[in-house]
Amino acid sequence: MFEYLVDYYNYWMFIGLMAIGFYAMMVKRNLVKKIIGMNIFQSAIVFFYISTSVKRGSVTVPILEHSAGHDAGHGIDIMHYANPLPHVLMLTAIVVMVATLGVAVAVTIMIYRRHGTLEEDEILASVRRR
Amino acid sequence: MKTTSFVLLVLVVAVLMYGTADIPKWGDPNAPASNHVSPYYLRHSIEDTATPNVVTSVLADYRGYDTLGETTVVFTAGMACLLLLKRVKSGGKDDV
Repeated sequence: MFEYLVDYYNYWMFIGLMAIGFYAMMVKRNLVKKIIGMNIFQSAIVFFYISTSVKRGSVTVPILEHSAGHDAGHGIDIMHYANPLPHVLMLTAIVVMVATLGVAVAVTIMIYRRHGTLEEDEILASVRRR
Repeated sequence: MKTTSFVLLVLVVAVLMYGTADIPKWGDPNAPASNHVSPYYLRHSIEDTATPNVVTSVLADYRGYDTLGETTVVFTAGMACLLLLKRVKSGGKDDV
């Protein structure tokens, strides 16, 4: 039981983090709080992918140590380096995260300029009044 | 409304918890994610790209088109922000 906990607890952490973000996106009435929830959600996904690149044992970051010489590639023990692929993909995901955050905040600013509030129900009332 | 969201949330969490039973253990060196293309990248990064940092060589060389598309995403987002936040001169159709 304890072994199982040690092997899988990181996934449960990310599920909890994702649940916090999802809850904020669904329930909160304030648009800024919704955006913060979206960012927490995306961070949970990024953490999950980064955690798949971990290898147990004597593992370092994927920066090769013996880089000199022509046959440098042959002495490389792949169990000595973390998996570089999730790192690269999450670099892309972080960029997309920032892009969505920027557009979301811009749209929120426009909504505030037009309706003077960021609360969802007040915005709906303001839309119906027009 | 709040109760419906909460029930939905609990449902999603339960499904995800059920799903974790099938994915490899944390830090398993023989996980499928570490055994398809990433050994190739680690072994051939030096001779192919002369870059000791494998993350850099994958990002800018092996998957360069991905990074090109990424810059397109950032450009599009920047243009969207600029167009949204641009103050319309008085006399325009939209009085924002």
